[in-house]
Amino acid sequence: MSTAMNFGSKTFKPRPPDKGSFPLDHFGECKDFKEKFMKCLRDNSFDNSLCRLQSKDYLECRMNHQLMAREPLEKLGFKDLMDPPPGQADRDTKP
Amino acid sequence: MLLPLLVRPSLCYPPTSVLLTRCIRMLRCDAGRTLHSQAEHFLWRRLPLRSQTRGAKTRSRKTKGQDEDWKTRNKTALTYIAAAGVGMIGLSYAAVPLYRLYCQASGLGGTAVAGHDTELVETMKPVKERVLKITFNADTHASMQWNFRPQQTEIYVVPGETALAFYRAKNPTDKPIIGISTYNVVPFEAGQYFNKIQCFCFEEQRLNPHEEVDMPVFFYIDPEFDEDPRMARVSTITLSYTFFEAKEGQKLPLPGYSYN
Repeated sequence: MSTAMNFGSKTFKPRPPDKGSFPLDHFGECKDFKEKFMKCLRDNSFDNSLCRLQSKDYLECRMNHQLMAREPLEKLGFKDLMDPPPGQADRDTKP
Repeated sequence: MLLPLLVRPSLCYPPTSVLLTRCIRMLRCDAGRTLHSQAEHFLWRRLPLRSQTRGAKTRSRKTKGQDEDWKTRNKTALTYIAAAGVGMIGLSYAAVPLYRLYCQASGLGGTAVAGHDTELVETMKPVKERVLKITFNADTHASMQWNFRPQQTEIYVVPGETALAFYRAKNPTDKPIIGISTYNVVPFEAGQYFNKIQCFCFEEQRLNPHEEVDMPVFFYIDPEFDEDPRMARVSTITLSYTFFEAKEGQKLPLPGYSYN
């Protein structure tokens, strides 16, 4: 927050999140997934790129327990972690 | 009187009346104010009275015409000036939406750049070379009794990749407390690239007595961050959340939200 009395400078304008607010997980339904994610972070010296699978699992848990609006995972930036569509998988396994 | 004659012999030309030419010559020479006035006086005495009256008539007609001419000229000049004044006032009113449009197009002043939408999340490519450290900070208002802290002090992300981070809040008191939070991003200019997909801010969050919850923040840094020359030396971004206590029934003006 801009605490100095500089009226000329631009002030920080907080923007609302794109998809709104997460409902609180009062019952800890996704706590295990969160613990897995945090453990992954600690093991990989807090590198987010290596723990994206765990974050995807956590968000899926949230969606399953009505703690998050269900969205296709591509919209959440997990396109690279998605499984290939079944038609392609069959073609791959065929000799 | 005869001095100018001696000084300028070249001015000699066949005169109708020697005295008259001398006088004219003296007028032309402009030898002195007194001389000039004397000559003028002499000239006027020489000329017949008729021409004088004729001159007066033409003079008055001329001045009348001139007056009218001036009046019309003044009128047109005034109309032009008035039109310019009104135009300036109109321009100053029009400048407000025009400037807003320009800001949106160019992204100056930290306004949200037009084109920043949710489809970007689908199509953005992570910029793997640019690693940024995001540090987390948690604050509460003095009268807010929650224990609020981040679950990780820092996380390394790259622009264009979505990231998840957790905060934890605990209500140690015996009564439910409703909190509402806001956030801040330092450095200031990096804030426009910091996009939150989902978080826990700006909405009332209720914690029952002795309850502890995990609060996630799902965000990404816009890949255009890497291309901004002002961000070339920025390698650490700090996300800071502050929780306040919300009073029952109090409606806070939330940025971007409308109460319909």
